[in-house]
Amino acid sequence: MGSNGEHLRALGTSHPLLNTAPSHDAQMDYYGTRLATCSSDRSVKIFDVRNGGQILVADLRGHEGPVWQVAWAHPMYGNILASCSYDRKVIIWKEENGTWEKTHEHTGHDSSGTIGCNAVSWAPAVVPGSLIDQPSGQKPNYIKKFASGGCDNLIKLWKEEEDGQWKEEQKLEAHSDWVRDVAWAPSIGLPTSTIASCSQDGRVFIWTCDDASGNTWSPKLLHKFNDVVWHVSWSITANILAVSGGDNKVTLWKESVDGQWVCISDVNKGQGSVSTSVTEGQQNEQ
Amino acid sequence: MKLKEVDRTAMQAWSPAQNHPIYLATGTSAQQLDATFSTSASLEIFELDLSDPSLDMKSCATFSSSHRYHKLIWGPHKMDSKGNISGVLIAGGENGNIILYDPSKIITGDKEVVIAQNDKHTGPVRALDVNIFQTNLVASGANESEIYIWDLNNFATPMTPGAKTQPPEDISCIAWNRQVQHILASASPSGRATVWDLRKNEPIIKVSDHSNRMHCSGLAWHPDVATQMVLASEDDRLPVVQMWDLRFASSPLRVLENHARGILAIAWSMADPELLLSCGKDAKILCSNPNTGEVLYELPTSTQWCFDIQWCPRNPAVLSAASFDGRISVYSIMGGSTDGLRQKQVDKLSSSFGNLDPFGTGQPLPPLQIPQQTTPHSIVLPLKKPPKWIRRPVGASFSFGGKLVTFANVRAQPQPGAEQQPQPQHVFISQVVTEEELLCRSEQLQQAVQSQGFVGYCQRKVDAAQTEFERSVWSFLKVNFEDDSRGKYLELLGYRKEDLGKKLIKEEKQESEFLPAAGETFNISISGDIDGLITQALLTGNFESAVDLCLHDNRMADAIILAIAGGQELLARTQKKYFAKSQSKITRLITAVVMRNWKEIVESCDLKNWREALAAVLTYAKPDEFSALCDLLGTRLESEGDSLLQTQACLCYICAGNVEKLVACWTKAQDGSSPLSLQDLIEKVVILRKAVQLTQAMDANTVGVLLAEKMSQYANLLAAQGSIAAALAFLPESTNQPNIVQLRDRLCRAQGDAVSGQQESPRTPYERHQVSKGRPGPVAGHAQMPRAPAQQYYPHVRIAPTVTTWSNKTPTALPSHPPAASPSDTQGENPPPPGFVMHGNVSPNVAAAQLPTSPGHMHTQVPPYPQPQRPQNGWNDPPALNRGPKKKKMPENFTPPVPITSPIMNPLGDQSQMLQQPSAPVPLSSQAPFPQPHLAGGQPFRGIQQPLGQPGMPPSFSKPHIEGAPGAPIGNTVQHVQSLPTEKITKKPIPDEHLILKTTFEDLIQRCLSSATDPQTKRKLDDASKRLEFLYDKLREQTLSPTIINGLHNIARSIETRNYSEGLTIHTHIVSTSNFSETSAFMPVLKVVLTQANKLGV
Repeated sequence: MGSNGEHLRALGTSHPLLNTAPSHDAQMDYYGTRLATCSSDRSVKIFDVRNGGQILVADLRGHEGPVWQVAWAHPMYGNILASCSYDRKVIIWKEENGTWEKTHEHTGHDSSGTIGCNAVSWAPAVVPGSLIDQPSGQKPNYIKKFASGGCDNLIKLWKEEEDGQWKEEQKLEAHSDWVRDVAWAPSIGLPTSTIASCSQDGRVFIWTCDDASGNTWSPKLLHKFNDVVWHVSWSITANILAVSGGDNKVTLWKESVDGQWVCISDVNKGQGSVSTSVTEGQQNEQ
Repeated sequence: MKLKEVDRTAMQAWSPAQNHPIYLATGTSAQQLDATFSTSASLEIFELDLSDPSLDMKSCATFSSSHRYHKLIWGPHKMDSKGNISGVLIAGGENGNIILYDPSKIITGDKEVVIAQNDKHTGPVRALDVNIFQTNLVASGANESEIYIWDLNNFATPMTPGAKTQPPEDISCIAWNRQVQHILASASPSGRATVWDLRKNEPIIKVSDHSNRMHCSGLAWHPDVATQMVLASEDDRLPVVQMWDLRFASSPLRVLENHARGILAIAWSMADPELLLSCGKDAKILCSNPNTGEVLYELPTSTQWCFDIQWCPRNPAVLSAASFDGRISVYSIMGGSTDGLRQKQVDKLSSSFGNLDPFGTGQPLPPLQIPQQTTPHSIVLPLKKPPKWIRRPVGASFSFGGKLVTFANVRAQPQPGAEQQPQPQHVFISQVVTEEELLCRSEQLQQAVQSQGFVGYCQRKVDAAQTEFERSVWSFLKVNFEDDSRGKYLELLGYRKEDLGKKLIKEEKQESEFLPAAGETFNISISGDIDGLITQALLTGNFESAVDLCLHDNRMADAIILAIAGGQELLARTQKKYFAKSQSKITRLITAVVMRNWKEIVESCDLKNWREALAAVLTYAKPDEFSALCDLLGTRLESEGDSLLQTQACLCYICAGNVEKLVACWTKAQDGSSPLSLQDLIEKVVILRKAVQLTQAMDANTVGVLLAEKMSQYANLLAAQGSIAAALAFLPESTNQPNIVQLRDRLCRAQGDAVSGQQESPRTPYERHQVSKGRPGPVAGHAQMPRAPAQQYYPHVRIAPTVTTWSNKTPTALPSHPPAASPSDTQGENPPPPGFVMHGNVSPNVAAAQLPTSPGHMHTQVPPYPQPQRPQNGWNDPPALNRGPKKKKMPENFTPPVPITSPIMNPLGDQSQMLQQPSAPVPLSSQAPFPQPHLAGGQPFRGIQQPLGQPGMPPSFSKPHIEGAPGAPIGNTVQHVQSLPTEKITKKPIPDEHLILKTTFEDLIQRCLSSATDPQTKRKLDDASKRLEFLYDKLREQTLSPTIINGLHNIARSIETRNYSEGLTIHTHIVSTSNFSETSAFMPVLKVVLTQANKLGV
């Protein structure tokens, strides 16, 4: 592994002209060709970012408060984006004939201010290891599980029972402050399930579960940061974790051969000083 | 929204932020009496349990105190890291006393809860604050301008911040600066605030607006800006909060005039500097932004005044307020629903009456109907502006292709007096690359494939090999691209033909000296001994007896010589007898060589001799059995040998050209989990595939699930590093495995090829579902991965002439080939007329629309997107026609022969392609008719049938097209095989009982030919007719197993009854139960004939 920054090649550029308000989320679609951002100015924006470009495709208005998160639907459902806002609305946006429009709106979502759920993350739909064990062609077992992280410092795992009820299956306790984000690692066919969690306490834990019942989780401290850790995100191949901290730093972590988590890069951007003309393939040495 | 309430007239203190769960300590308030006029006092600790919807707070402990309190704070001093309840409760009493309590002891019910006590102050201690940088430092204020700094580690002797201010006044507020640890501020009801520098031990600035109306009831430092603070006034004539900046201390920076009457308490949120709580004699609790003056929230309160208000340090949305009506209320500024809460109260009420029948009437109480509130939903709205702690300031999310999207919101430093300008915010997309070496090696591999520099590539690998095994693997792979591959294999195994030749010559020279001179006379023995008997037999022409006599006398050489003279049959019998008698060590080898039973060697040799066995196979095996024999040996090594031999099996599979088994064996032997070990494997596989393709004899068996799996793993790996194009090049193309189909789609789109505009409707290989309205369950339930129908979106539309597939399903895909909609359909039987060359993109709707949609699912028939641009000369491309070093340029519409499609693997495969297979055994005589290469639309080339080695022929024509492996004899090797006398074959007649097969099949082909109309079909049939010669040859040699023979007879019978579908069923059965190498030369052809006959209805 090389020095910081070596693993990052700046691809695209920023679009400061378009996002003047603080962003709260930025998500690429399934293919990595479109970027949805949402920000405190109540807007949801979609950019076409193919080939390093940044064409504003849509500026979606409908929220009456800062927009916290955006989420793309799987393309099997079409080009669909969901957004949620401080206005307690969840809006479903859909592209039809090249135009993005609001198709659904769910209002009056209760705030979780008192109980305090900060994040949820779906488990992979496929039972761990089933891709390996099962003969090909056989339909794998699907499960519905998710993890939640909240103000009670706990990560909770929920599973859908046969009667359709969601049951709390497990409590994972290691953080000493609010759990800010949980991220269930994508399944790459291995029998191990992995969850990353980050907290107000500055800690990031990697939780793993090897047993078939899915009930024995053991935490491993990835790192203790000096600031709130807001966000964790797994790479598609589930081997790199991006950690976003309150110091506006993003770090990338990878598990070494001996099972230790090593920081492989600092993504120290967003200081407003990065040139907007960074060209494709250029090394970002910032 | 109110969360909890406790009926206490008390001062309050939240447990420190570190503490979990959250506790609230209350101490009976001084100078206030409740309705009972009770003068008793207590210190209590409550737990804040937000998961309990009731309004009650759980009391954890009560300590009866002799003091009543003016101020209560809870410092984190000496808290352990585990967050166990600890810290210090610091209370300001009525008589100049400061008392330190141990909260953990209060909770455990310990009687000795006081840590220390000091009554140095004069009058009530109304002001207390803990230094957040040094939590052992506590400042206190009382009457007579008294300010003390206490060190909790040395509580006996307090310090002072400097000389007392004059005139003496009460200290109502005291606060440590939030940024600079040695700065302290104090304020008094007179309206003056003083800022102390403890390093200088003196006041550094006094803050006052000289209005004389600022009766300070509250003082708070800005959480972030060191020089800013607010002062609150309880004077009804000036009910304001003043914001001061010490850099401009002449007048307040801002005045918040949101209260109608005097303000009793303020609290500035440490979690969000834009949240300042204030409560006043107007009975309001307001939350304002002190930086703008805007009121963000008004708490729904009663008409009572609150005299104390505190943010909960741990949960920044929670605050508590103590009101004069003897109640402490806990609120959330985030709003919420109160429905559950009220229901809880009703339940509680009912239960307190006991079992729903409190009056013993025998009738349970009817459920209480709660009058509906006027608001439709009893939802309390949250703060107008979202607080900072829920505004995610930074984030990074991975997306497909190893891209990382990051954003971070730059904190603008607030400038005094200036409105904050929104800072431009940036969202970045970065490429994350973690496997540089993998990418580098992948690039090298692609270059090797593109430049066809296989020999050089292999050589570099040989040179760089770290292990002996690695070196041999690459050496073996390299041989595939060289002339005389079999010979070179032998050399690698340690057998050098030239060496042996030299030794032989030596021996022959010695022998020749003992040869009798010609022309010498000799005696014919007529004695009665064995010699005489042999003489008699010979003279009467009775070879058989002569041989028997020789054998009896153990004169083996004589017996064999005589048997040769006595004819084939006698020779064969004599050989058998000889082998039965002979005991020599190499007898079995000789037996195998003479009987051409290589299988015997491979099956029975000691595995230590695997090299010798492989050498024998390389030397002798016929092309159609070569690959199977290598396989067999490999399988034995893999299953029986030790771990060392298991790895050697890889070499056998390389010789066999069996990619799938190589993958399996390699995977077993290596740790395949790391990217680089996958790279190791892929390099070998790609090179071996190329070798197989170069010899024009790709064995369809080599493509299988395992290889596809590995290749898609590899493609995923490349994609994750951002090498989308490379990932596409390596991804197996023609497969219906859903994960591969999906990955291909994803890669294509990621590359930006497919979506050319926003007008396009989404076209994906997934089953489409309508987003259901209001029923989340079923939607999720349907979100299953696409299954087989997904393949319909991948009709094989070809663009580039070099694009091909590598699967067994559609082994060729050159321009003249029709687009096959899917491997399982039969469209290939109606190909376009010969000469039809598809250029570019054919409207794919045709293919897609013909496919059935499976019922019960929402399928949107969408046109498959065009084949994406892909790097040409991908690893799975066929050798380009215009660039092989061994080949000359071909005519444009030349289609090279195609390997046999395995009927075992694909009994329902597109049989039209079978016609293109080359003939199997090598013609042994150079006069033997050379199998005509299939020429697609090749009318101009029809009739070009030239003997081997004819000058002027394109080299690839002159190369026999052999089924089998890269090592199978080609070119020079053929000569080698021919020189062996044991390979001499005379054509025998087909046994009478099997003649019926030939006549039936030929008759059927003739019938088909007469009714077939289109030239392509006719050509297929012509081809089939020729290729069935292989079957007839096998019948002549009687080498087919009885089950196959029986099956063929059954097929013949079904042909006679024109029941072709039954014939096809039998065909499938034969294929699935027989040895591939035994049937591959003719069974596919037979299937084509049967299929055509069925179709033509002849």
